[in-house]
Amino acid sequence: MKKKILSLLIMTAMVIGLLAGCSTKKASPAANTQTTEGNSSGEKEAAGDEEVTLSLVWWGNQTRNDLTQKAVELYMKNNSNVTIKTEFTDWSGYWDKVSTMAAGGNLPDIMQQDYAYINQFQESGQLADLTPFIKDGTIDTTNIPESILDSGKIDGSVYALSLGSNAPMMAYDKEIVEKAGVTIPEQPTIDELYEIGQTIYEKTGVQTYFDGGINYIQYLARTTGSYLFDELAKGTLDSSLLYFNSIAKFSDTDFCIPANLLVEKDPEIVETKPIIDQSTWNDLSFSNQFISVSSTAGRDLGICMWPTTADATTQPEYLKPSMFFSIAETSENKEAAAKFIDWFTNSEEANEILMGERGIPINTEIADFVKSKVDNVTAQVFDFIAKVTEIAEPIDPPSPSGFSEVEELGKKLVETLRYGEINAEDAANQYVTGSKEILEEAAK
Amino acid sequence: MKKNSMSPKRKRTIGQIMNRKEVAGYVFILPFLIGFFGFIILPMLVSFGFSFTRFNILKTPSFIGLQNYITMFTSDATFWKSFGATLYYVVFSVPLRLIMALIVAMLLVKSTKLSGFYRAVYYLPSIIGSSVAVAILWKRMFASNGVINAMLQSTGIPSTIAWLGRTDTAIWTLIILAVWQFGSSMLIFLSGLKQIPVSLYESAKVDGANGIHRFIKITLPMLTPTIFFNLINQIINGFMAFTQSYIITQGAPRDSTLFYTVYMYQNSFAYGKLGYGCAMAWVMVMFVGLITFILFKSQKRWVYYEAER
Repeated sequence: MKKKILSLLIMTAMVIGLLAGCSTKKASPAANTQTTEGNSSGEKEAAGDEEVTLSLVWWGNQTRNDLTQKAVELYMKNNSNVTIKTEFTDWSGYWDKVSTMAAGGNLPDIMQQDYAYINQFQESGQLADLTPFIKDGTIDTTNIPESILDSGKIDGSVYALSLGSNAPMMAYDKEIVEKAGVTIPEQPTIDELYEIGQTIYEKTGVQTYFDGGINYIQYLARTTGSYLFDELAKGTLDSSLLYFNSIAKFSDTDFCIPANLLVEKDPEIVETKPIIDQSTWNDLSFSNQFISVSSTAGRDLGICMWPTTADATTQPEYLKPSMFFSIAETSENKEAAAKFIDWFTNSEEANEILMGERGIPINTEIADFVKSKVDNVTAQVFDFIAKVTEIAEPIDPPSPSGFSEVEELGKKLVETLRYGEINAEDAANQYVTGSKEILEEAAK
Repeated sequence: MKKNSMSPKRKRTIGQIMNRKEVAGYVFILPFLIGFFGFIILPMLVSFGFSFTRFNILKTPSFIGLQNYITMFTSDATFWKSFGATLYYVVFSVPLRLIMALIVAMLLVKSTKLSGFYRAVYYLPSIIGSSVAVAILWKRMFASNGVINAMLQSTGIPSTIAWLGRTDTAIWTLIILAVWQFGSSMLIFLSGLKQIPVSLYESAKVDGANGIHRFIKITLPMLTPTIFFNLINQIINGFMAFTQSYIITQGAPRDSTLFYTVYMYQNSFAYGKLGYGCAMAWVMVMFVGLITFILFKSQKRWVYYEAER
């Protein structure tokens, strides 16, 4: 009998040990770093001696992941008391991931943030106010233009710091374009793009891609000085109809890449974009992606603005904060996180690694510094942004809640349209009525 | 021992309670019980509560009664589409997988030197089949310039079909992936086959029954409990399928491969409608429960238990 009791006690102890396993694990890395700190004590200890573990998440592609990882490692080397745990995914899975983290109350200390989502996260109190850190100089903003700081401001407080500027851009395959003997204007109209696409297909057999998702509907709304989400809230059809008509115009032709190929050559993921394997000669995205698209394609690409309309009354092209860093309200190490963001934005050593992959650095001195170092591809982006800066109109306000569902609805309708199961007018109607419902529901 | 028997009042000391046989059993399954109640039952109950709320994942939930369920059944076309796609997937993938598993199990039932090796090899897809890596491999294989088309071309069929891009073929790439993972059903069939008494076959042979007769009259009836078990298991698995759809197609084209679970996931985490997602989950629980119930009821008609004879 006594043996039995003993064995049961041992069992229970094992079970408890097992259950406690999770918490022991958490504690151990801290203990490890403590010992390593003892060994390398004399280095730059600007952040103080306290042990800090920061978590950092971003969305990206292979290029960005490699560069960011390298920068993070350098930071940890210089600040031996800081450990940074990184996580990254591609764009499509990112927001699912972070909103789940947010719901669980364990948003990472630093998250990469997007202009379209910043409102939702701020509204629900997930983001820390960065204004105190800017005021006390933890985040140095002397060389950052006010307009860029404003892009991360909500109700007068800064909740996110931009990591770079970018603009809507169309990349094209120089070799194919030359072979077809066409020239691409700095900002083609939709009709011009249509003709160019036709010529290229006749001469080379390479197809055209035409869509920029919800960003492009907003872009088209901007050609008439309108704001898409105002239109959708009111149930106005204008810009949506223009968009679906344009999509239909292209998808009816045989020089446009068919919908069934876009399932496997997903334009939303850099690595599978149809321009990469020359299924198409062009691609619509944002200028900071030019670097990773170029390096993935391994060819010389050209760069121009998104197609506008022939009768545009205002310039639709705009400068956009490509992405932000924001700090979680739940973070216990806000100051250390702010210090990292400051280093990421304002130090030459960080930006020498990052090389403007997230967009042109917002610190003007750093931008000049990086520009002197970059390769041809990045220089193209710098020049492009300079050109856009001259003509750009201010960006639309951050998108309202329900944005992602509206975006998805648009994608589905475009797909339906491309499969020839709906006409442009019906698609536009369904889009506007559907979006109105979604936005009203999301605002509740 | 002696001390205990001397003082009857102290009979129920911890030691005494711990010594009872049932208690030992419970202690041994304690890790499972904690996990089961803490990570399955409790979240399920919580999600049932959430299914009556409007719950944007970033905000606090507000009670809206049956609204989620009403919306789902009356005005959400995508809900029905995803439900249909999932049903289609289950209806084809489960029987095909079981047939495949049974065929391979019958081939492997004879013990040879290599049978262990073959079993391991055929079981392998079940382990790796639902992984992300295989999903991506599948996507490449069925691409318009992928391996499948190259193989078809080498046999003289000029195929440039974008398998994943057609509403009629895309779901079949997922079904084939599911059929390929027949390993666990195969192992269960194998053990089922081995339990069929050899004497039955021998006497049938004496009576002059050929292979087909023996299969239909002996193997199948004797195997029905195993088939029943596999069927229920696989149907439940089929409705829970997620990775394939999420990684390979994301529901494209035209929602033809949008599995119920993926749509549920999109609602909960991408659109921030967690309450709606919970309601969808409960509809699925009810539906799978109903199917399982019907199958159990139908048992009497076709499942043969030797012991009940």
